[in-house]
Amino acid sequence: MSNFNAVLLECDNISKQYGFFFALNKISFHLDESSILGVIGANGAGKTTLIRILSGLTSPTSGKMVIKGKNYKTDDKFLKKIIGTIANKSFLYEELTIYENLKFYSKLYSVYDKHTFKEKIEHYAEQFNLSDWIFEPISNLSTGMKQKVEIIRILIHNPSILLLDEPFSGLDFNTIKLLIKILTELKLKENLTIIIATHNIEVVQEISDAILILKNGKISKFAPKNEIDKNKIEFYF
Amino acid sequence: MSTKKNSTKSELTLFVTILQKDIKSEIRQANDIISIILFGIISIFIFSSSYNTINLGVRMPIEIFVIQIWLIIFFTLIFIMIKLFVQEKERGTLDGLTSSPVSNNILLISKVVFCFILLSFIELILVLFSFFISVPSVQILNFNEFLYYIIIGIVLPTLDISICGTLVSALSMYSKNKSFVLPLLLFPIILPITSPIISLNIRLLEGELLSMVVIEILFLVAHAILMFSILVLVSEELLSE
Repeated sequence: MSNFNAVLLECDNISKQYGFFFALNKISFHLDESSILGVIGANGAGKTTLIRILSGLTSPTSGKMVIKGKNYKTDDKFLKKIIGTIANKSFLYEELTIYENLKFYSKLYSVYDKHTFKEKIEHYAEQFNLSDWIFEPISNLSTGMKQKVEIIRILIHNPSILLLDEPFSGLDFNTIKLLIKILTELKLKENLTIIIATHNIEVVQEISDAILILKNGKISKFAPKNEIDKNKIEFYF
Repeated sequence: MSTKKNSTKSELTLFVTILQKDIKSEIRQANDIISIILFGIISIFIFSSSYNTINLGVRMPIEIFVIQIWLIIFFTLIFIMIKLFVQEKERGTLDGLTSSPVSNNILLISKVVFCFILLSFIELILVLFSFFISVPSVQILNFNEFLYYIIIGIVLPTLDISICGTLVSALSMYSKNKSFVLPLLLFPIILPITSPIISLNIRLLEGELLSMVVIEILFLVAHAILMFSILVLVSEELLSE
């Protein structure tokens, strides 16, 4: 959206159809590097479908999508390596520990190095206040802790884009504040591009550079944050 | 050449990683396996006690013994199929696998091998139990005959039904009525091999030569290759929405 960064992601007329129902209907937008896009909308507006299409979990019925000049049809593995996704259902295995889950995912992304892995995990665990829980099974963690582990999971393979679907649901005020701080730092320090689909309008207004509002599978409004009047935002729902 | 070798090595590493994760998860949820084994043991008790009540002091004929074992194995397969893809899909962890840069074929093959290992482990316990509880009228096999029975009578059919189970589990994971669809889809796929498996087991336990069961072996091998080919060919469609 800014005039300074290169375009990272381009969606051109993306549609997703289930039978006669359009979950997404001709969505077109583009996003620059190192920016945060907040996707908001009512239930069933198409937020999750958009995140799933961008992460390669669902194929669009029609339309073209280009990320870093590549698309899923020809460069599936490359795109999956540079994208980190948090979906509305956890990707973590409840019966495995934090350490085992992170080791498993770092092996899947071929970034596991047995000499540096422990150090890397200890660093993240300290940053997210999880040092005492590394060897605990996921089932023993609170919702907030699980969400922090999810964030470590997606950071472990050094992605360029983070796709977060409802990352703040079930979290208390302090944990939401902590996540906002972490995401903002990631954008600034690591130059990450972040797309957040959420119901939480306040959070979106706080951290996003641009806001995309979906209504019945269509874009109701897409503009830089400062161009959207926060008192009239619900008008677009 | 070197790139190809490295790619094969990294795919093998991914395969081992997924397999290790599945085995570790399964060990941590031992209750599920214990309940499957208990189901098998209770079934063996019911078969054996029913037979022994009617035929006091008579050893169980091989035919009934083999049918008893394979009937329990087929039921066990349905329990395991739920663990392969259905459970991962419901928990959301399957999305974690499919959104990672792992090819669908590696994912499917690791599930086939996991199903095979789990089924073999359960079979080992059930076959041992049934030999002691059911006391079949099996003649004493020499080492070679015993080895043939294990490899051709048990391992080959187990591999075949593991492939079928993985295929059906992947096919039915998006269905709303999974518990209904799983056995419904499995039935036509395993129906052609039930008769060769039973016949193969009976004849091997009776000590017949391998040359006498070549047709059954070829049929099972052909069925396994066919099912595996279907699994690989439709892997993209199976694991994407």
